[in-house]
Parts: sequence; structure tokens; C-alpha cells
Amino acid sequence: MRIVVCLKQIAHTYARSGRDPDSNYLEPEDKVLRINPCDEFALALALEAKEYLPGGAEVSLLTLGPILAQIELVRCLALGADWLFQVDAQGYLDPWQKSSLLARSVQKIEADLVLCGRESLDSANGQTGALLAHHLNMPFVSGVRKIDFGTEGPFAVVRRAAGRGTRQVLRCPLPAVFSVEAGNTIPAPPSYDQKRNLGSPPIQKLVLDAAGVAPRYVQEAQYPPRPRVKPLTPPDNCLDSYGRVSELLSGSSMEKKGRMLTGDPETQVEGIITFLQESGVLEPEKEGELDG
Amino acid sequence: MLTSFDLLLIGLSLVIFGAGLLKLKAAWSQGRPARRPGDLKGLVLYLLGQREILENRVAGLAHLALFWGVCFYLALAILAQFGPVIPPGLARLVSLISDLLGVALLAGLIFFALRRLGDREAAAPRGVLLPVAVLLIVVLSGFWAEGARLNLAPEGASWHAPAGWFFALLSPASPLFMQIMVRIHFFAVLLLLALVPFTFLRHLVTSSLNVYYRRQEPAGVIEPVDWQQPVIGADQRRDFNWKQLLDAEACVSCGRCEQSCPANISGKPLSPRKVMRALHENLRGGGGMEQSVSQDELWACTTCMACLEKCPVFVEPLDKLVDMRRYQVLDRGRLPSEAREMMRDLELYADTYGRGPAHREDWALGLEVPHISNLPGEAEVLLWVGCSGAFHPQYQQVARSMAHILNAAGVNFGILGKEEACCGDAARRLGDEERFETLAKKNIAALDKYGVKTLVCLCPHCYNTLRNEYPALGGHYQILSAVEFALRLIAKKRIYPKYPLAGRLTIHDPCYLGRGNGIYQPLRDLVGSLPGASLVELEQSRENGFCCGGGGGRMWLHEKLGENINNLRAAQVAHSGVQTVATACPFCLTMLEDGINSLETERPAKVRDLIEIVAMSLGRAH
Repeated sequence: MRIVVCLKQIAHTYARSGRDPDSNYLEPEDKVLRINPCDEFALALALEAKEYLPGGAEVSLLTLGPILAQIELVRCLALGADWLFQVDAQGYLDPWQKSSLLARSVQKIEADLVLCGRESLDSANGQTGALLAHHLNMPFVSGVRKIDFGTEGPFAVVRRAAGRGTRQVLRCPLPAVFSVEAGNTIPAPPSYDQKRNLGSPPIQKLVLDAAGVAPRYVQEAQYPPRPRVKPLTPPDNCLDSYGRVSELLSGSSMEKKGRMLTGDPETQVEGIITFLQESGVLEPEKEGELDG
Repeated sequence: MLTSFDLLLIGLSLVIFGAGLLKLKAAWSQGRPARRPGDLKGLVLYLLGQREILENRVAGLAHLALFWGVCFYLALAILAQFGPVIPPGLARLVSLISDLLGVALLAGLIFFALRRLGDREAAAPRGVLLPVAVLLIVVLSGFWAEGARLNLAPEGASWHAPAGWFFALLSPASPLFMQIMVRIHFFAVLLLLALVPFTFLRHLVTSSLNVYYRRQEPAGVIEPVDWQQPVIGADQRRDFNWKQLLDAEACVSCGRCEQSCPANISGKPLSPRKVMRALHENLRGGGGMEQSVSQDELWACTTCMACLEKCPVFVEPLDKLVDMRRYQVLDRGRLPSEAREMMRDLELYADTYGRGPAHREDWALGLEVPHISNLPGEAEVLLWVGCSGAFHPQYQQVARSMAHILNAAGVNFGILGKEEACCGDAARRLGDEERFETLAKKNIAALDKYGVKTLVCLCPHCYNTLRNEYPALGGHYQILSAVEFALRLIAKKRIYPKYPLAGRLTIHDPCYLGRGNGIYQPLRDLVGSLPGASLVELEQSRENGFCCGGGGGRMWLHEKLGENINNLRAAQVAHSGVQTVATACPFCLTMLEDGINSLETERPAKVRDLIEIVAMSLGRAH
């Protein structure tokens, strides 16, 4: 079985510590170059399949555009992937163009299963996987958490997150495209041995013509996030000026209504139950009911 | 005198003794090479005083009696072969001393025999009873021979042989009896000699060697990985270095490490004694340590160094555990899942909190804390803030307090700011040596770039790593802990603490300042230099200090088994009835505060960092 994992390299902006408005208040160290976290989970699922499938699997990594995060790509290879393909592309591409380029690459690799992250950390479009399935004319499952493979016939049994904690198990014929949801446990890092055995990883360039595909939409502008506004209620008129000023300084009167529960978990639970009983959500325990 | 048959027997037992020793040496020589200079003076002083063994008073005295008794008799027996002429006065004195030492020896032997009889514990010392029984035979036959001799001698019993007189009452006045006893004595001594390498008595050789090759640098310093080795870390016996294997041979399973191990006391499966026992068995059996030391044991160690402190023969279970963790992480890729997030943060953001270098200076916002490059003139010190000082909300206050103290004293100081990375302590002790080296090299490059000579570290873990572990990677700086530096500022009258402390205060010794680097007194001196200080010592303090449970990467692992270590320590604090606990470590601060809060006492003690207390006494409240 051939599995392709699409990896998006992103420059994740986690801070805005600069002083220069022209650079959008960005400094070089405000970014880390990494692989999109959801894609890392997709890779973990592919490697799990490689380990447990009786016939094994060949895991190919597919990335689009110039190599930004070489260290991270090498890390992914060290985890146990077999090939790394780089699709040549320059400049901004919309999801339609991206997925069309990826689809042609997948066709070249002749993959049985394509995995990608549910959405990226930088643009959060969440379209690439679905559009990829469209281009390839394959079934598409989103929010996948776990993949099992059928012993008879080419199909996969996938467990997906259906929102609000609902878990759904689907049976999907292969080849297919799955977009993977980030899990709770970060995949294990590669061992030193794996890195040492890697040697110099070959990056295979796939040159495809991007000019033939027109974008479906064009980005007009992008704005950095605004600072969050702290809601302030107007001061209570009944208070004297001192009270109003101290209320303003402390935030608002609303903030003080909460009660902090301290102590060990058991007493905290007791506190929550008492609170719920006092506010009428729970019926208070009746005396003697337990004895009877 | 000796017949040729006797000489033959002596030769035979010496050959067995020598062959056994060679076999022992072959066992620990399977290890990897390591450079350990010997310390002969240390060994002689150790053997003379046995201070470390005497820390357990009763067993120590019994051991001392055995050691000196056997040494004395051995020397006497060898000297006697040359037939020296001794004046009668001196002879009587020697006779009295040997008699009394013999009694002490006998008492010590009976104590050890009783202690091991009925001891069915799995990790208890093995092969003890046979040599003890033989030694008992040696002593008793010696006394009986002496008693019989006194019965036969014309002058009879006298004041210089009181025990001999007692045994004379129990023995017949027959030359045959005396001859039989002398022969038994002689054969038993030879048997004992031949038994040394094969029983518990091998510790006479191995433990002495272990003392000779003991670590000269501070306790708990982890040695770098040799990346050329086929296996990184240690699993099989050949993955350990020879000194580590000698440790396993030198361990007598006395159990003092176990009794002071916080993981063991709190009910976790880890026992340093069991680890050493497993390695010892591995030397003979084979297979991997993975089978004998479970994952729960391996990851339970808080690297508090209590086992190193307590071991009477300087056995170090800690570096074996770290090497086994290295094997799990680097060779097998099996980092515990709870620690993966922290390790990924270290990989991407170079700090344990995952906040990133861009936020590293945030704690100093609005304070006069310049970057090292913006200093007028040469920097007196560089303040090494550490991840906790930079990111942990509570410890940021400590970092601010330190900045306040330094500014109040007019110290020309700077910080590395965004160029500072995690020192790598947690990564190293969780077994990820590669991450540690990357971080350390990054830090050393940054420090060298600005020509930093002296650093003041807020966190003891940073202090220990920078001071003791960076030199191996080429980073040589003068490292001071914040406590030492504050004390120095007060001593030089550069700051004047004036506001008195309220209430009674106790000190919780951070392992990496105390046992790691021997900094106990500066903490007390610092408290003593503040007005109104009334210091109460905890029951377990200084060398006996109890870990908070946060070291060795345990800060990021879940405590699933047994009691929480920090709760145990918090109970000790609550028992002492103080109002404030002073410590000097971000992990201790967090762990103790959590522990004390979970106790739900009426007026819980406040946990504060000493630096914060000094700053408050200078007149700045947060």
C-alpha cells in the first residue's frame, strides 16, 4: 500500500514583539518554522499503518513550494517515512490551485491513500483535503482520528470526530483522501538511531505546471489580529466616587461574583455540588433517604 | 610454626582468592571505557574513619569493630611470623587490646548475623550468612585456643586477657583441645580468604575500589553521551561504563538509598537498591535492563541525589537511571507521552513553557533590565533568568525581585533576553541528550558572543547545569546562584534589608543547590542577615532534605502511583508550624505550594523564594 501524507510547512507567527509598524510589529524570532500540527498527526497515523499492516506500507511525504522548514521535514523522514516529494511552486496559491497541483502529484505517485491535516495553523482554510479528493475523484472523510484497514478487500474503517464529542465509525473504500484531526497525545519524537540511519535524505522534485490552473478566488487583504477588547461595564451610579474608581480599577463588578474553590479535588467537587444545590440545579440530598 | 602443608594450603587459598578477584574484575571490565582518576588519600582516610558508614550509628560501629578487629589480628598474625622480641609490658598491652577488640568483633558479628537471619527481602544483601558464620568460627576458635592456652600456661589467667579467662573456664586444660582449636582457627581463616571474591565479602575489594575511584566533581553531574557508540544510552551490561559496573559490584544492598528515596517513600515501585541489584544480576545473567527495571520505576526518579548522599560507598544509581532513560528516548524513541509536549516546545521554541523567545523579556516589561549588549561599560554579571523566571507567572515575580535587588545594589547587570534558551536540564534528565546539547551549544554561543564571564542563576537547575555540565561542552564561566550573590551584596553593604520579616520561617533545601552543589549555609546566612528572622529547621533539612518531587523532569510527568511527593513534604512543613517556607527553586515553589494547598490546613504556610523575601525586606512589595 502506498500512503501519501501532505505536509504543509508554515512559518507560525506566535508573537508580535517588534516596535516597527512597517513590519507589522514582527521580529524574526516571532515565527517558528514548523510542519502544520494536524499534518504531523496525519503522518503519525500513516506510520502506524506502516507498522501494523501485514504487507507494510510505503509512506511518501508531499510538500508544496520551496523548502522552508528543512529540519522539520528531515524529522518527519526520520520518523519512518520513505520518500519526500517537493512540488515546485512559487508565490501565493489559492486552495484550488494547491489541491490541483497536489492531486497531479498524487497521481504520479499512484497512492492508495492520501492523508492530510484537517486545517492549517496559518490560514485555516480546511479546503485542501476536500478539493484534493474532488480532483482525484476519491471519497473524502474529514476529522479522522484513527484508521484500521480491512483484511478482505481494499477498504478502511475510520474513526472520526463528528463534533461535540460524537465519534463516528465509517467504512470507506480505498483509494481515498482523509483529513486528520489533531489528537490529544503528541506523536513520539524520532529516536536518535532513526536520525542517524537516515543519512542525507533525498528530496525528489516534482515539476508541474501551475500556470494552467486559474485561481478560484484572490486574496484582497490580510489583517493582523486586533488586540482583544476588555469589556468594561459602566460604574454603578449608586456608589460614591471612591467606590466607582476602585470598581473601574478592579475591572468590573461582574468579575467578583465568581467563587474560587480551593483544596483537593474531593472538596472541590463537594463545593461544586453544594453550589449546584444552592442554585437549584441539583436537588438537595434528602436526610434519611440513604438510611431507608 | 608453619609446616609445608600449611604453606601449601595458604598458597591454595591465595590462588583461589586471586582467581576470584580476576573473575570479578572481568565482570566490570565488560563496560565501556571511562576516565576516572583514583584518590588514594581519600581511600585511606575513608578506611581509617569510616565516617560515611557510621552515619547509621549501630551498624556503623559494628562494622568498625569488624574492620579494626580483623585488621589488627591480621597484622598481629603476620608480625608473629617474624618472631619479634617484645618487652613484657608492651606484650600485655597488646594482649589486652587484642582481647577487647576480639570481644568487639564478636559482638559486631552477632549483630550482623541476627540482622540478616530471617531477612527474606528480595533486595537484601545476599551471601552474608556464610562468611559471617566462618568469621564466627574464626573468632570463637581463637578465643577457645586462647582459653586452653591460659589453662595450660603456668601463670594462668590474668588482667590482660579477660575474654581469654572467660573462655578458659569453658575449655579443658588439654593440649590436644588447644591444637584442635588452633587448626580450626587456621583453616577457617584460609576458607574466609578463599570466600572473599565469591560472597558478600567481595565488598572488601570492590567497595574499597569504588571509594578509590569515587567521583571528584559534584554529585549528580551527568556525563555526556558518546555519539560514536552503536547503542546510545544503556540497556545491556556492555552499554554501561566500567565504573558503573564497578558500582554494581560495590553495592552491598544496605538499603540506605531506599530509605531516603522520595520515590520509594511515596510508594512508587522505584528503589535505587533494586536498580543496583538488577544491574548486579545483569552482570552475571545477561539480557537487558529493560526487563528488570520497569518503565514506572525508570521514570519515577526525581534525580534528588538523596541516594548518592546516603550511599556509604559512593554508589551512584542516578547516572544508571539517566543512561537507561537515554536508551529509552534516544535509541527506542519512547519518551513518556506526558513529556512529549514539553520536549516539542523545547524543540520549536527553546523553552519548557512553549511561549517562544519573543516573549522571553516580557517579565521585565517596565523594569530597568537592559539587554547585555546595551550596557554602559563592562557587565558585572549576567542575570540568567531561566524558563521559569521568564514565563512562570509566580516565578516572574522572583525574577522581578532579583532585578530590583540588583538595581538597588547598583550592579551593572544585563540579561540575554531573546537569545537565552532553556539550559537543557529537563531534557537531559529526561534522557534527550540531543536536545540538551543543541540548547547548551546555543547558549554557549550566545554567552561567548557577549564575552560573559560571570552569571547569576535564579534557578538551581540552571545553576547546576551551567556550572557543572556546560564545561564539558566548552562553556567555562563563573556561575553564582542568586542566593549566594544576594548574600554577597548584603555582606559588602551594597544593599540594606531593613523591613523585618513577620512570623517564623523555615527553609526547604532545593536538591540542586544542596546535595548537588553543597549550598546549604548561604541560604541560612541569607535568612540570618534579614532583620527579624526566626528560622526553624525542618526535621529533614540540609543533606537529609526531602525532595519536592519536581526534579528530573518529574515536573512534566504525571504522578500516577503512590502518594504525591510534594504532599509528603508539605505535611512536614505543616507539622513544623511555620508561617513561611523559603526555598530557592521554581519547581520547589510550585510543588510545595500545591502540596500545602491540598492539605487544607487552617492557616497554610506561604511558600516564597528567598530572593522575593530579600526584596520585600529591602522595601518593595509586589
